[in-house]
Amino acid sequence: MDYTHEPHGLFFMIDNKSFYASVESVERGLNPLESIIVVMSEADNTGSGLVLATSPMAKKLFGISNVSRQYEVPHDPRIIVVPPRMNLYIQKNLAINKIFREYVADADLFPYSIDESILDMTKSWRLFGRTPEEVARKIQLRIRHELGLYTTVGIGENPVQAKLALDLQAKHDHELIGRLTYESFPRHIWPITELTKVWSIGRRTAAHLQRLGIHSMGELAHVNPYELQQTMGLIGAQLFALAWGIDRSHFTQVRPPKEKSWSNSQVLPRDYRVQSEIELVLREIGLQTTARMRHHQQQTSCISLYVGFAWDGQADDGRSGLHHSRRIDPTDNAQTIIRELVTLFRENWDGQPVRNLGVGLSRLSPSGRLQLDLFQDPQRQIKDDKFDRVIDDLRDRFGKTAVIPASSLLKGGTMLRRAALVGGHNGGNSFD
Amino acid sequence: MGGIVLIDETKEADLILSRLVPLFTAQWHCRYRLDVVNNQYGHVFNFFLDIQRQNHRERSIPLHSVRTTDLAVLERVINQVRQGTALTLNFVDFGHVRWPVSQRWIR
Repeated sequence: MDYTHEPHGLFFMIDNKSFYASVESVERGLNPLESIIVVMSEADNTGSGLVLATSPMAKKLFGISNVSRQYEVPHDPRIIVVPPRMNLYIQKNLAINKIFREYVADADLFPYSIDESILDMTKSWRLFGRTPEEVARKIQLRIRHELGLYTTVGIGENPVQAKLALDLQAKHDHELIGRLTYESFPRHIWPITELTKVWSIGRRTAAHLQRLGIHSMGELAHVNPYELQQTMGLIGAQLFALAWGIDRSHFTQVRPPKEKSWSNSQVLPRDYRVQSEIELVLREIGLQTTARMRHHQQQTSCISLYVGFAWDGQADDGRSGLHHSRRIDPTDNAQTIIRELVTLFRENWDGQPVRNLGVGLSRLSPSGRLQLDLFQDPQRQIKDDKFDRVIDDLRDRFGKTAVIPASSLLKGGTMLRRAALVGGHNGGNSFD
Repeated sequence: MGGIVLIDETKEADLILSRLVPLFTAQWHCRYRLDVVNNQYGHVFNFFLDIQRQNHRERSIPLHSVRTTDLAVLERVINQVRQGTALTLNFVDFGHVRWPVSQRWIR
């Protein structure tokens, strides 16, 4: 393989070791690598409780993994269980990224998730050390000293190498640093046979590859890329590039998605069987999604509804849920959208118990002006439009729960309780 | 953080106690303890309620963070908290120092 025309940069992919659990350890004066801490969400829809994060020691001693359930965690007095504080983790993430900004220009820092960031160090690394490893060490120590957190660094000549170096090497390295180059890539990556360990290869892709007789990254690198693309489509070509550590993406030229849409969904705290209760939550989600869309001065002409059945309520034909879309006249009026959603729901729902609900709004266009309907009272339409905007303003100024539909107080409503959550989990105490 | 922030010790103590009350249910075979952590990284003092039922997992629930590094402020907050609860206080990461006013060891 000739790599001379591939991009040769220097990328750091930095993540926090067990981020939530580490933050909670530091807050309690414990060492994040030695404490046995489990961050457990007890939001309504997590059943008895869901493990969001575990400290490295809890993983090692008790084999507790993320998304374990409350009852899977042993009753051992050595384990400390703490509630999540999402707002605190967001603050810490901002503090970490602020430190990163001292090592790269703002334009070269790309936050990837709540605890991972990509740093394009190509232009700046020589300012901070003689080798990339030395620079990585420096950044790690800064974060350890200032925030008490341990970070893991993957180094690569392009983003994908940095990501694989992070996932496959750094996490097992004593210094928590891993490095891949075009030259060392085959040596380190090709022997891997557990394909799902590799970023971007999921269970189903791995199974597909197995069926094609590909059992290791080395084998993936040596198939005919054109044949692979023929059987797997574009993903085939991508996987082939992955096996050779090639990544031609330029973060500065981010492509906007072809068609944007707004959607919200939630897992219900229990199985909902009563139609009025399901429709209540559906209204709440419809309201929330419409409000988000209106904030961006857009209107929709296609609504979609997703209903996920409870585990034991699957339809006779084995369906686990339903998904329907409908074209409507362009609107950003919540009442109209909700009416359509409820109609769609009534037409398709057959009485199955429901556990998931989702609403999507697509085929967006700029709203700006109101398109009056010839067949309805124009005064009424203008009034409806104004009403929505006043509600939006009230919520912007006084918070999401400043005005709520009275129906949200009925049994089954989830809006009030969810309003206090961040990303579906407890945000932490206020006034902190 | 940053700049001078005046801290109303009564308010801080009240907040801590008001969060403590619904959590302290006084069960049998259960140890309750207030952890006060000197968090050097955040330049704050963190308060937690620690609950340990016999042979169960320990639970640690955040109550409040007092945004200061001034021990005198903390001492006043602690004095007021002590008036509202008889729970044991456990001081973490304070080292071997005395309270500025009472001159007793912090422990």
